[in-house]
Amino acid sequence: MSEALAAALAAEHAAIYAYGPIGVHLDGDAADQARSAEAAHRSRRDSLILLLTGKGGTVPVAAPAYALPFPVTDEASALRLAVEVEERTGAVWRAALPATEGAQRGSALNGLTDAAVRATRWRRAAGVTPATVPFPGRPA
Amino acid sequence: MRTGDTNQKYGTAGRSRRDVVRAAALVALVGTTGSLTGCGLFDGEPDPPPAPDPLAPLIGGALDLAARYEATIAAFPELADRLRPLAEAHRAHAAELARVTRTTLPSATVAPSTSAGDSGAVTAAATLKQLREAEQQGRDAAAKVCTEAPADRAALVGSITAARASHLEVLR
Repeated sequence: MSEALAAALAAEHAAIYAYGPIGVHLDGDAADQARSAEAAHRSRRDSLILLLTGKGGTVPVAAPAYALPFPVTDEASALRLAVEVEERTGAVWRAALPATEGAQRGSALNGLTDAAVRATRWRRAAGVTPATVPFPGRPA
Repeated sequence: MRTGDTNQKYGTAGRSRRDVVRAAALVALVGTTGSLTGCGLFDGEPDPPPAPDPLAPLIGGALDLAARYEATIAAFPELADRLRPLAEAHRAHAAELARVTRTTLPSATVAPSTSAGDSGAVTAAATLKQLREAEQQGRDAAAKVCTEAPADRAALVGSITAARASHLEVLR
């Protein structure tokens, strides 16, 4: 169980990092959306750190920097990265579902669901259609 | 049940000849089938039906949601581009759930009865509101099944929950 949650924590660290360059290239509603998304990822990160620390297992720390999958230079690439960040985060939370049960299953499900909702929001902002995928988090 | 009554009748005094004949006929009838149960003529109960698969309600829900979208698209073709991917997602969910539960989907669910049945008076906005409510209920139902599901089903039901939640964004 802890391994899957440690992977989720690592993904949340990366997501928080990515929202830095994303936010820089957005304004208006999209910038607000990026801020609230980043706050949501920070909140999940903090819960995971507490949980994993309590278990006494390894608690992944944030890397000083993460390699982005492509350069973020403008609004379009920022939106594209936001979609990708949420898709990746959702996939990691989905992978945690079989490894968890009870309340932790519930928070993994929230992690997946929130990521899927944000991915849909970002796809709509980017004009990507369809804005949804049939099985969020499932490996392609 | 009826054989039980017959049994009681045997205990009562002064039964008529007709009763005896009827009882004998019943016993004969029960005798042919009763031997299949093996244990006792009167306490043998049919085997209980197998418990329904916990995923079964999600299949019905997915087919219902798909049918609602399809009815809405038929009534409001201008919504087709927006809603068709959602209808297709629900169909894909039903197919995957059927595969996992080893069940066969009912063929061709025509006649979507529920939402846009009596269109004309119904506006697109009202229909979208109904769809939102149906998706919310579907999301909550799937979330409950996911938290109780065995490990090998948790990811699939989790994805279905997340998909239903994401549909709400498109219906805003």
